[in-house]
Amino acid sequence: MKNLKKVSLYLLALVAFGFASCESEDPEKENDGEVITDVTLKFQELNASNALVGSVLSFKASDPQGIEVGKTPNIESINLTKGKKYQMTIEVTNAIKGEDITKEILEEAAEHQFFFLGQVFESSIFSIQYADAGGIALGLKTIVTVSPSTGTNNSSMRVVLRHDLNKSFAGANSPTFANFAQAGGETDLDITFPVILK
Amino acid sequence: MLGNFKLYFIFATMIQKAIMLCLAMAVSLGTLFAQKCDLILRGRVLHLENNQPIEAAYVWLSESATGVATDANGNFTLKNLCAGEQTIQITFIGHKEIKQSIVLNSATSNLTFKMEEEAVALTGVEVHGHREAVQTTTAVSTLYGEALLQSRGESLGESLKRVAGVTTFSTGNTISKPVIHGLHSNRILILNNGIRLEGQQWGAEHAPEIDPFLADELTVVKGAETVRYGPEAMGGVILVNPPALPTSKKSTTELNLVGNTNGRAGNVAVSHAGGSGKYPGLGYRIQGATRRAGNIQTPNYYQGNTGMSESSLSGALGYSSSKIGTEAYYSFFTTELGILRDAHTGNLSDLLAIIENGAPFSQADFTYTINNPKQVVTHHLAKLKAHYHLNPSWKLNFQYGFQKNKRQEFDRRRGELNVRPSLDLELFTNTTELVLEHNLKSHWTGSMGIHLIQQANSNVPGTGVTPLIPNYDLLNAGVFVMEKYLKGALELEAGLRYDYRTVSAARYVGNDLQESDLTYQNGSIFIGGRYQINPNWAFTSNLGTAWRPPNVNELFSQGLHHGAAAVELGDVNLDSEKSLKWVNGLEFEGKRSTVELTAYANQIRDYIYLNPTGGTFVSLRGTFNVYEYLQADAFFYGLDLSGTYSFTENLNGYAKGSIIRAKNTETETDTYFPFIPSDRMDWGLSYSLGKNPDQGKNRITLSNVLVAKQHREPIFDLAPAPPAYALLNLGYSKKVELFKNTLSLSLQVNNLLNTEFKEYMNRFRYFTADMGRNFQLKFNYQF
Repeated sequence: MKNLKKVSLYLLALVAFGFASCESEDPEKENDGEVITDVTLKFQELNASNALVGSVLSFKASDPQGIEVGKTPNIESINLTKGKKYQMTIEVTNAIKGEDITKEILEEAAEHQFFFLGQVFESSIFSIQYADAGGIALGLKTIVTVSPSTGTNNSSMRVVLRHDLNKSFAGANSPTFANFAQAGGETDLDITFPVILK
Repeated sequence: MLGNFKLYFIFATMIQKAIMLCLAMAVSLGTLFAQKCDLILRGRVLHLENNQPIEAAYVWLSESATGVATDANGNFTLKNLCAGEQTIQITFIGHKEIKQSIVLNSATSNLTFKMEEEAVALTGVEVHGHREAVQTTTAVSTLYGEALLQSRGESLGESLKRVAGVTTFSTGNTISKPVIHGLHSNRILILNNGIRLEGQQWGAEHAPEIDPFLADELTVVKGAETVRYGPEAMGGVILVNPPALPTSKKSTTELNLVGNTNGRAGNVAVSHAGGSGKYPGLGYRIQGATRRAGNIQTPNYYQGNTGMSESSLSGALGYSSSKIGTEAYYSFFTTELGILRDAHTGNLSDLLAIIENGAPFSQADFTYTINNPKQVVTHHLAKLKAHYHLNPSWKLNFQYGFQKNKRQEFDRRRGELNVRPSLDLELFTNTTELVLEHNLKSHWTGSMGIHLIQQANSNVPGTGVTPLIPNYDLLNAGVFVMEKYLKGALELEAGLRYDYRTVSAARYVGNDLQESDLTYQNGSIFIGGRYQINPNWAFTSNLGTAWRPPNVNELFSQGLHHGAAAVELGDVNLDSEKSLKWVNGLEFEGKRSTVELTAYANQIRDYIYLNPTGGTFVSLRGTFNVYEYLQADAFFYGLDLSGTYSFTENLNGYAKGSIIRAKNTETETDTYFPFIPSDRMDWGLSYSLGKNPDQGKNRITLSNVLVAKQHREPIFDLAPAPPAYALLNLGYSKKVELFKNTLSLSLQVNNLLNTEFKEYMNRFRYFTADMGRNFQLKFNYQF
């Protein structure tokens, strides 16, 4: 009987200990690291000898909260001139954490690729080619040529960033590969910019 | 304490009176007449200790020179008896013989006998090597022995599919959750050796953290068992029970090896149990298992990143004597599961593209490597249990369980984030229960008790993702009382329970601290009965209420669910779900055939479900569907039927099937809930070769699974329900003697024709076909 009492005392102590030691931690603020809040397309004109001329034109798409319901992203219109050739560079940042995601995309160039779609390409208003360093198909740097003879002044361009795709998939080396989904992977960015031409 | 006792007796008396009233009605229907030598004696043989039925006890009437063995429920019937005094003698291995005089005069006598386990040691210490049986009048199905052996190497969900009325809700071929009568996740309860398994069960892609290898018995209770087990046991309860600890000096070792061609998967499982010769009543068991599998193959392609690795370990040490019994138990489970790469979509157009394609875009090969997206889960469970016999009729049970569940989910992410989990949760659970049981000489047995559940959930910081669910502390206290009347072939049972739950949750969304304190309370009640109509037929009926407080994810979800390309919104104002389930069972056991029919109706008030709002949400990442948690009254009803038939000694057949209907009763036209199993059946024939077919030394089994298309689809689904399918399985098993022990070997071919199919209840039906043909080789040796 004495032993039994001892055992039950131990049990009780264990239970008490168990209960006391199990409280949830205080919540901590979590900075969304994965989120892309700002995407900036920078255009600079290229002259006949492919040298950069003129000032840089910046057009930005931003979503300060990242993914949150009820807020739609703010997307600026791209203003370009007909018949000109531009170098386009893309900057991607996470303003919540103050992080430059462009660098990460470049570091993981083997797993990332931008595709450029939408009306500007369907109606042959723009033509585009990858111009990244090392001749890789990535799309952080591209050359965009605006057709001189286009009837419309308003169009749109869709910019898609794919992650974890099979870059050697047949057709995926084209920046305007519409069936990018077939190369696998997932979409990190899918933004449609309005385009205004003069 | 005294006050509690008093209250208990008031409740117990109330319940007893209610049962007596039912009984009086039943008896008044019977007619009593006596004639010479056509009397019938019915009875039941139970363990004195725990009222568990004793199967195969031998009952002998000396004067009539007639005898019979008890069935699996401990029941026996002797017919054509003469009136007068008779000596009844009951024997069962390891138990004290019962020999007593009875007087037969009425047409039918119902008697209950309780056998005491024989003293092993000469000192007179009685050793009770019993297990806690499920003492319920609800429809119960158990997998054990040969059927369990056949399921070895499968997950818990897959194994339980062998029970009629149980299906799985799965996410690919490695994650499957059991579904009982259309309900799953937090609407059913899983008990690991008597402790409520507490993991992050709210998630559709969160498999139960338990390895069925630790069990020698998997039991499915199909009724609302809230009174007995606490909140959430709405659809039913699954009991995963390890074998009883040895109480005498004998040791057994079991080795299982399983190999599969699909996924090139292999299992190894070993268990060893032994008892002490020096200290009778002292026993132990250790068990370990491990599984490794690579990419699953569908008939036409591999599913990328669907490998898994899993290990489990458990151990138990126990001591039991006539007065006291104690057991310490520990189990550990860890798993790493690859998630089909293509199921992790970036946005709605990604999702629609893959659904349209009907198959993954990534062209995978075979590999064991598990990449992101993946889940890494570990679960520890420790338990202490003790019972003490206050006197021959009263017993006090104490049980304490500690659980630690850690779940990490990894997504494909950029840079250094890729090695950090996107979801990192740690859940601690303490469960304590104190139950006082009585087993009176009269026909009453019963119990009263207190259940406490304390839980703490924390998000481990550093994921770089706003947590899907908050940190929270939960406390649930419940008191219950149950009474059972048992006389002859009749059992009647009723119970009451009251629960009180508090949840206090907190988290940051951006810079905003969100805090909520919620309380829930509910009373539950059940009444049930079992009647052995005659030796062949038995009827059970159980009517019970159950409830489930809304889960943390239903209350607080606010974020992106990658697999569904959906934004899910919780609602902090949700009420508890309350259900009323009526389950009726009819069992037939004849010479050549057995039939088990279960019919049920489950009315659920404020059923919580995820409903598409029809709206979309646009971000830089693209478009997403928006879903919200809503409540509506639901009505579930259905039938499970299973049966066996022996055509000849060598040829046996079986069939089982289930039908389930689930409606939203708040809408005028019929609307349906998503992910309700479609009608299905499974039938087969087995042929035993040789002269002693009972021993099943050489057996060939051919079976056919038929699954209908789910025509009762919800208004919105990403893809229509897949078409009906039929699968053919072929198996061969052989038992051989090896060093005086039995070696069981079996070769099973699942999906023999390599049929390409999609299962409605598999969430990955949107992305891929199901598993193709699989050859499985099994080896089981016990020594």
